[in-house]
Amino acid sequence: MTEKIFEMQHIDKLYGTLLANNDVSIHLNQGEILCLVGENGAGKSTIMKILYGLEQPTDGEIYVKGEKVRFHTPSDAMAKGIGMVQQHFMLFENMTVAENIVFKNEIRKGLFMDRKRTVETVKELSEKYGLKIDPEAKIEDCPVGLRQRVEILKILYQSAEIIIFDEPSAVLTPLEVDSLLETIKSLAASGKSIVLITHKLQEVMAVADRIYVMRAGKVVAERLRGETNTDELAFLMVGHHPALRDVAAPQPGEVLLETKKLSLHREHRDILKDVDLHVNAGEVVGIAGVSGNGQTELELCLTGLERPTEGQVFLLGKEVTNASVKTHRDSGMAYISEDRYLWGSAAEGALSENVLMAKENRAEFNRYGFLKHDAIKEYTEKLIKRFDVKANDTDQKIRELSGGNAQKLITAREIMMDTPVLICCEPTRGIDIGAMEFIHDQILEKREKGCGVLLVSSELSEIMTLSDRIYVLFEGKIAGEFKRGAVDEKTLGILMLGGRRDETEKIRQ
Amino acid sequence: MTKLKKFGSKFLDALGQPLVAVLLSLSVGAIIIGLSGKNILSSYAIMFKGAFGDGYYLSATLQRSTAIIMGGLAVCIAWRSGYESMGGEGQMIFGALVSALIAYYMPGPGIAKILVGLAGAAIIGALYSVLSGWLWEKFSVTFIISTLMLNYIANYIASYLTTYKVKDPQSRDINSIQTGKLIEEARFGKVNGLFQSDGLKETALGQYFKDFNVHWGFFFALLSAVLVYILLKKTKFGYQSKMNGLNSRFALYGGINARGMLYLVMILSGIAAGLGGAFEVYGSKYRYIDQMIFSTGYAWSGMVGALLANFDPFGTVLACILLAGLSTGGSAMQRSAGIPVETVNMLEGIIMLLMSVKLLHLIVIRRKVSKEDRLKNEAEIENGKEAEA
Amino acid sequence: MNISINYLASVFNSTLRYMTPLLLVTLCAGVCSKARVFNIGLEGTLLMSAFFAFLTQYFTRNIFMAVFVGMITGMIVTFVIAFFIVRLNGEPMIVGMAINKFAQGLTTFLLQMIFHTKGTVSDTSMKGLTKIAIPGIKDIPVIGTMFGNLTVVDYLAFVLAVVMFIIMYRTVIGFRIRCIGINPEAASSLGIRVPRYQIIATTLSGSMIGLAGCLLSLGSVTMFMQNISAARGYVAIAANNLCFGHPLGALASSALFGFTTALAQVLQNSALKQQLLQCIPYISTILAMMIFNYANNKKKQK
Repeated sequence: MTEKIFEMQHIDKLYGTLLANNDVSIHLNQGEILCLVGENGAGKSTIMKILYGLEQPTDGEIYVKGEKVRFHTPSDAMAKGIGMVQQHFMLFENMTVAENIVFKNEIRKGLFMDRKRTVETVKELSEKYGLKIDPEAKIEDCPVGLRQRVEILKILYQSAEIIIFDEPSAVLTPLEVDSLLETIKSLAASGKSIVLITHKLQEVMAVADRIYVMRAGKVVAERLRGETNTDELAFLMVGHHPALRDVAAPQPGEVLLETKKLSLHREHRDILKDVDLHVNAGEVVGIAGVSGNGQTELELCLTGLERPTEGQVFLLGKEVTNASVKTHRDSGMAYISEDRYLWGSAAEGALSENVLMAKENRAEFNRYGFLKHDAIKEYTEKLIKRFDVKANDTDQKIRELSGGNAQKLITAREIMMDTPVLICCEPTRGIDIGAMEFIHDQILEKREKGCGVLLVSSELSEIMTLSDRIYVLFEGKIAGEFKRGAVDEKTLGILMLGGRRDETEKIRQ
Repeated sequence: MTKLKKFGSKFLDALGQPLVAVLLSLSVGAIIIGLSGKNILSSYAIMFKGAFGDGYYLSATLQRSTAIIMGGLAVCIAWRSGYESMGGEGQMIFGALVSALIAYYMPGPGIAKILVGLAGAAIIGALYSVLSGWLWEKFSVTFIISTLMLNYIANYIASYLTTYKVKDPQSRDINSIQTGKLIEEARFGKVNGLFQSDGLKETALGQYFKDFNVHWGFFFALLSAVLVYILLKKTKFGYQSKMNGLNSRFALYGGINARGMLYLVMILSGIAAGLGGAFEVYGSKYRYIDQMIFSTGYAWSGMVGALLANFDPFGTVLACILLAGLSTGGSAMQRSAGIPVETVNMLEGIIMLLMSVKLLHLIVIRRKVSKEDRLKNEAEIENGKEAEA
Repeated sequence: MNISINYLASVFNSTLRYMTPLLLVTLCAGVCSKARVFNIGLEGTLLMSAFFAFLTQYFTRNIFMAVFVGMITGMIVTFVIAFFIVRLNGEPMIVGMAINKFAQGLTTFLLQMIFHTKGTVSDTSMKGLTKIAIPGIKDIPVIGTMFGNLTVVDYLAFVLAVVMFIIMYRTVIGFRIRCIGINPEAASSLGIRVPRYQIIATTLSGSMIGLAGCLLSLGSVTMFMQNISAARGYVAIAANNLCFGHPLGALASSALFGFTTALAQVLQNSALKQQLLQCIPYISTILAMMIFNYANNKKKQK
């Protein structure tokens, strides 16, 4: 009889109108490795954030070791022996490994830090769990894999019984992933209970004892590892194959956007390596990939915001490799940035001001350097109406809009630029279904007009629905190229995770 | 939302905070007056009368406000674009000195002296401002250090020049450190006799304006405010600079040239400050007197004014006139009630302190958006900011 | 030969005397920057501390009282700054400048109300900080000059630099403050009350500005004049940038600016006129920042 170390019952979590968790009930047994799998936005991170006290549940109950609890902050959760390795590491860059681990529970000698004992204790800890580190190394000199190890040790130092990993392999290289999985197994063997959030099914099959599959905020299945396989899990995760739109066959024209051997080298790492891609007139080209594999840098290089280390970018046959953003835009490119507040808008600016960006030179809005405010207002109203943005008036600040409406406005601005090329990154992140379909229609309409669209998205279904051609980006390299219908989600998924082509063949048979 | 409500919230947004700030600081002033054992109401009455009481006092206030307004406009241009330059003082000092020298030494008719002098002031102001922009762009020397140091340097250099190189040849007094006095033709004319026609002379309006006598400089400052207003609110430049100030990454994303923007902004704000110095010379002092800008704190009052108006040019004019009124009224209070005029400096400090915090946002605006949405949006925006840093 | 050695010794001596107030302010700036409180109100804090220390000495003739009041003033003003920035989310730039402006107004106002003057107040009967003459050293010709005329607080400043180093880099509390400055989010995720730490740390460090203020108005001369702080608060920000907020580094960077000020002083009888000499500290501040940032950027690019 295994003991339930924690249990969450009927958890609901409401963000505004979005139900992120819908009646979720899960539990974890002592010494078990539990996997939570699901697509992006399925609610698996949310439920664990609730357990860790980072979010408050709208409804539902939590029991730890049979005792009813309510965590308001992570320190409450920590006091009950729950620790979480988050995707964003919470480390102090120019401090040493040992100092990071002991923070808040420092080893003292009166008022002073006891450096010697700190190092010794951390060393002992790392030896006990077989997690090798150099206690006196600075964090800033540690590669990502080591930093993660520090995070794990930090949690172990606080003697956590339950350790939650949130997509821990997202930032790691394959070798580092292997060693992480080993770590997880040995932690479980030493009596810790583990929750692993992931959407990488190989990892699940490698370590899990038990698996919950989540979709759209709900737990849709619970399986023991022995009674399932990746095929079934993949099906459960996606649920159904999304109804394919009736998309007319593409009429590809000449090449509008092309890169040749595009590479970006940063801090001794290849962010992008020899990327060759092209977008023709009248087609939507999708870039599939797990985020963090170079998509952000690719879009920045394509739009002139970042200078590639090597290689060339051609826009409508003209080389624009190191040209300014303005040259890119003037040559016929519009760009929906993946981050709507960092790049894509001025949060404190009015809607009309945000809509005007990159259009302020057009004769429509500008006469001899003077702006035609009436025309701008009218135009903004038109966009708001056409794209169904819920806003009070054009003078409202964009930060007062909900995320979805802000995204619609930004998408509207760029689509209405009427340029031959549109680079479109995560155009539907965090917005509701209706708005998503509307934006998809707009993208397809652009294609009908003979424009070339490059679509970067971490939503595989979005890529599958819209793209005429798909490139898979893995670790900054193109890992595959497919025509519409020539590939299924599973194959793409495996390529996105660095699987090889022959593996995918094997699965097909 | 109804029209009235909308207007109400706009009004609250634009004027609520400045009003609260000014009123609170005046209450602090009242406490100070009370502590010095003077009658609060009558002191404030004297102050008001000394600032706006009749045409004579109004003139003094408006003349004083001239350089303050120009300093405020310089701050509007720079800060709205995201460059927190505090170099108005140094630019104003050099503007004043150069305009005084040109008008004194250049041969030719008075109008030519003035025009060339204004051009010289604008150029030197712009150059000095560009210097701090260059220090920022090339060497990442922050504006707070570069502009403040440059202010001190400007004051000492101007002081050196007036003491040793360009001292008034007429003056025998060893202690008067100043340049030569400008001839009548090389000064701004005065506007007077407003509402003094036969029909109006006896009315209250005519009586009020009986002693009204203000140099052109003030009207040039008003004109500058109109120009800055047009520049900031109506032109492409104004739009681009505002976006740069709100989110410099967004500006880059939209294709705005960041470097060009920096220098253009520095030039324009330098021109405004430099001209402010020239107006003070041609309108009030008719020469450069050592410390004339440094000790009066015109540029600083201008900064407070611009802050009060949230960098709106017309609002800045009003706020600067109000601040100038505090000073002239303060002098009157000093004369009759014995309360030092420096009280006003303190009040300005308090106004600034209160303007640093979004007082009303803390209370009113937060309620408008539902809490969850706000937190989520703010978290996203914060993340953006951090990534930027 | 003897003359020139004596000359150098006196340059050394004035470097020491100019650097100590700056050192104290830089130490405070260091704590503020380590705790991520962007404080540019140092100038006003210094001015007010100098004034109230002077005022207390004027009325009580009790130097301990005066120093105490100076330190308390420094702490109160720094607390206000930290509170506005950390708790009320005020724009740090404006908060700081507001304090500087207010300090200017308050000191001249009180100068006028109490002493009925606008410029300088001094009272020859007033005693300043106790000067320390180390027996044995004071009679040695050159070395005596080098360390002459220094007050208790001058020596204390050097001691404090070391003490601050120990607090910031050896104690638990200093460790936490530095961690908070590096990544406040990480610190608060572990249940540390970040704002409280920030406010307490900066407020306590404000007492050092108070000491610096005492040095200005009760140090080698006992007098107060308008704007006696003469931009030291801003120079300290630059000095703090140069040493990355490290207390021992502050010794070097404040010595640099102390030296340039001393240079302006000793060159007084040379061909250069006084006003140009007075520019030297300010110009050297900009130059130092330029060279330092340029070298740093170069290093980063590599």
